[in-house]
Amino acid sequence: MNDRTLAVDLSGVSKSFGETRALVNCQFSARAGEVHAIVGENGSGKSTLAKIISGVLREDSGEVHVLGATPRNPVEAQALGVATIFQEVLVADEASVIDNLYVGLDGLLRRKFSARQREQEARSLLKRFTGLDIDPSMPVGTLPLSIKQWIVICRAILRQPKLLILDESSAALDLDATMRLHGEISRLRDAGTCVLIVTHRISELVRIADRATVLRDGSTMGVLDKVDINEKNLLELMTPRDRHVSEADNRGSSKKAALPPLMSISDLRSVQGAEPINFKLEPGTIVGVTGLDGQGHERFIATAVGIASAHQGAPLVHLPDGSIAAIKKLSDAEALGVAYVSGDRKREGIFPDLSVFENLALGLYRDNLGPMGFIQRAAPVSAFAREVQRFSIKVGNASNKITSLSGGNQQKVLVARAFAKKPRLIVLNDPARGVDLGTKRDFYRELRAFADDGGAVIYLSSEIEEFIGFADRVDVFVDGGIFRSLTGDEIAEEPILAAMFGQALEAAMTFDMQRAAS
Amino acid sequence: MIDTKPFRSLMRRNEHLFVPIALFIVLLVAAALRSPGLFTSSGVAGAILVAAPLILATMALTPIVMAGRGSVDLAVGPLLGFINVTLVQWLVGSGWTSPVTIFAWALFVGAAYQVLQALVIIYVRVAPVIVTLSSYLFLTGVNLMIMPRAGGVVPEWMTKWGAGTSIISPVLFVLIAGLAIWFVFTRTAFHIHLRMTGADERMAYTSGVRTNWVRIGAHLLGGMLVGLAAICHTALISSGDPVQAGTYTLQAITALVLGGASLSGGRGGAIGSVLGALNMFLISHLLATFNFGMFSGFATQISFGLILIISLLINVLLTAPKIQAMR
Repeated sequence: MNDRTLAVDLSGVSKSFGETRALVNCQFSARAGEVHAIVGENGSGKSTLAKIISGVLREDSGEVHVLGATPRNPVEAQALGVATIFQEVLVADEASVIDNLYVGLDGLLRRKFSARQREQEARSLLKRFTGLDIDPSMPVGTLPLSIKQWIVICRAILRQPKLLILDESSAALDLDATMRLHGEISRLRDAGTCVLIVTHRISELVRIADRATVLRDGSTMGVLDKVDINEKNLLELMTPRDRHVSEADNRGSSKKAALPPLMSISDLRSVQGAEPINFKLEPGTIVGVTGLDGQGHERFIATAVGIASAHQGAPLVHLPDGSIAAIKKLSDAEALGVAYVSGDRKREGIFPDLSVFENLALGLYRDNLGPMGFIQRAAPVSAFAREVQRFSIKVGNASNKITSLSGGNQQKVLVARAFAKKPRLIVLNDPARGVDLGTKRDFYRELRAFADDGGAVIYLSSEIEEFIGFADRVDVFVDGGIFRSLTGDEIAEEPILAAMFGQALEAAMTFDMQRAAS
Repeated sequence: MIDTKPFRSLMRRNEHLFVPIALFIVLLVAAALRSPGLFTSSGVAGAILVAAPLILATMALTPIVMAGRGSVDLAVGPLLGFINVTLVQWLVGSGWTSPVTIFAWALFVGAAYQVLQALVIIYVRVAPVIVTLSSYLFLTGVNLMIMPRAGGVVPEWMTKWGAGTSIISPVLFVLIAGLAIWFVFTRTAFHIHLRMTGADERMAYTSGVRTNWVRIGAHLLGGMLVGLAAICHTALISSGDPVQAGTYTLQAITALVLGGASLSGGRGGAIGSVLGALNMFLISHLLATFNFGMFSGFATQISFGLILIISLLINVLLTAPKIQAMR
């Protein structure tokens, strides 16, 4: 801390959320008057780091020095001169633009600026960034999303911060707006502000970052100076080594390429303005689906099983008799033999107050009703025994509550529930999140066996190494569409990661060309 | 050409007041037809006397609801009753009858109890509704313990308040005092903080608003207004009553919603709450002019329910399409 120019200095910082270790002995420092990028994969701890610096989260252990002090809450951080723009567009729809801009700037009772000052400043700031003359007394709820995003950005700029943190804040902005934001960032840097950018857009940080700190699994992997910031160096630091989870290569052979597809999707748009999605799934295939946060892969999964409806188009299921049916809602998917497993065990998976047996067999009762609609227990009981054995679930007594099982075993019950219905297609949304290696291997083995028997699997994961040696194809989503489909030897850490970051030679070039044009 | 922009933005900001204002006008016209006596000097005086406790109780709920987290204060009625019975049983019973003592007690008890509730909500992290529901049950019992049945006398200076013969009455001044407290409050940054906290607590917190202090402040303000409501209520019934005040809880919540406040927080204000309470008063006043025979007791409640639902529906129809069009 003798170094006066260090705006932020963190050493040995750790932070856990329950079982998940978001930051492990993390080092980070940034100087005044520089633009410093924090880069990493999903879940590498970059947002947690930003939240600790801005006082929203407290570290579990380690030293945090921000502008010469340790902020314990956002109020203290703000008093020090920290302003943060978070990933979510945080505005109060009911309140006016002015109130949204000046929130938190006043004392508890006294206002800092006169009403007229606020009005003029708000109007001119919004004019400068959006080019529109917006009435600052309007409630924010009536304005479009892009302007809301600018309000959040202007809120931070109004504070004339000494340390500005942008947490993926350009995600909702288009290219033109991003350029305007970058102009503002450069201006602030030249005025001596320390600007931290948390981002996954490599092209963005290559252009404006003076230095970059790369995180992986909550630890600092390295710090790059401006000359060293390029795609190759970044990917090298971000990519984990020797983390292959699967056993030997158990990828299926390519013999089923000639079979007609189980599911086909053409020109589907999840939301208005998203890239169109074209997708085919043959029997015997395991397709991995991945992308960075908010790139549309989760939405795609939800659409494929009928939980969300698409803006345009619908997934089509090809039935054995040659007919084709569309999935428009969840019950369609069920009727057509598409099973869904959510990775969000607590909210979309288990019934915590029901027994292990009920949790597994719940979906089977209706298909096995006896006379007058009475429940027949024989079929569910045999299905239960079969699935418990297949996944080697450690159940103890089947009538115990499901919450008596470990997390991994609970997840096994959920996957088994999908298997028990004998589906033709299983869609899994990050089922291996937070489960141990052994359970993962059980999943991979059984899903592979299921595919080899003529089924098909769509498997979403944000952990790249899950796909290696397991998936036949990996579809990487960017901006709501499939950016690249990888097969064979392309299913490896670096190509997938590069695709997730939208890195293609031609893509980078068009971006630069657009920049030159604007 | 006249610049209509400021006017339009004024309309935009106060969209939620359209329905209460329209309902108020309709009810006034109906009252003028059915019961012209309401518009005489003594009619208005009586109306102020009867409506004042509800108006103040509704205003007391307003900041608490505005603070968000669905914190409707169910205890407002019994708390009002608690102040009423303690005033009559403890203070007057012990001979402490000076107006200063009475007002100080009412304001202090109201504020202290509400701050206590706020602290439980903040630090015990129980859902506000549960906290205030327990409060409701607890205070209802306590009130009956202090004063098993209605009775007692009010201080001498207060007996004349309940006469309701002149418009310019002490009750009117208490009402004006309540409105003045509210007006001062809306001039402070605390008002903005309250609205922002109610609209999005996380946003407010990360933007540097001390949300816990805001919540305590909202309850403090609400508590003071409950104190004023209790004084008006005591003047109205001229005695202590352990049970009757409990009905103010549901009435005040209805009036609050009728006045256009959002139960999910962030939106609300004195104008809406006063209008909502006045509308409630006018509805029951109007219904009293009809002869429903044995149904008269239920007719008021049925009408409150119907009008509440209808006004919410109209509000939804008025606001929804525009928002979608903008997005």
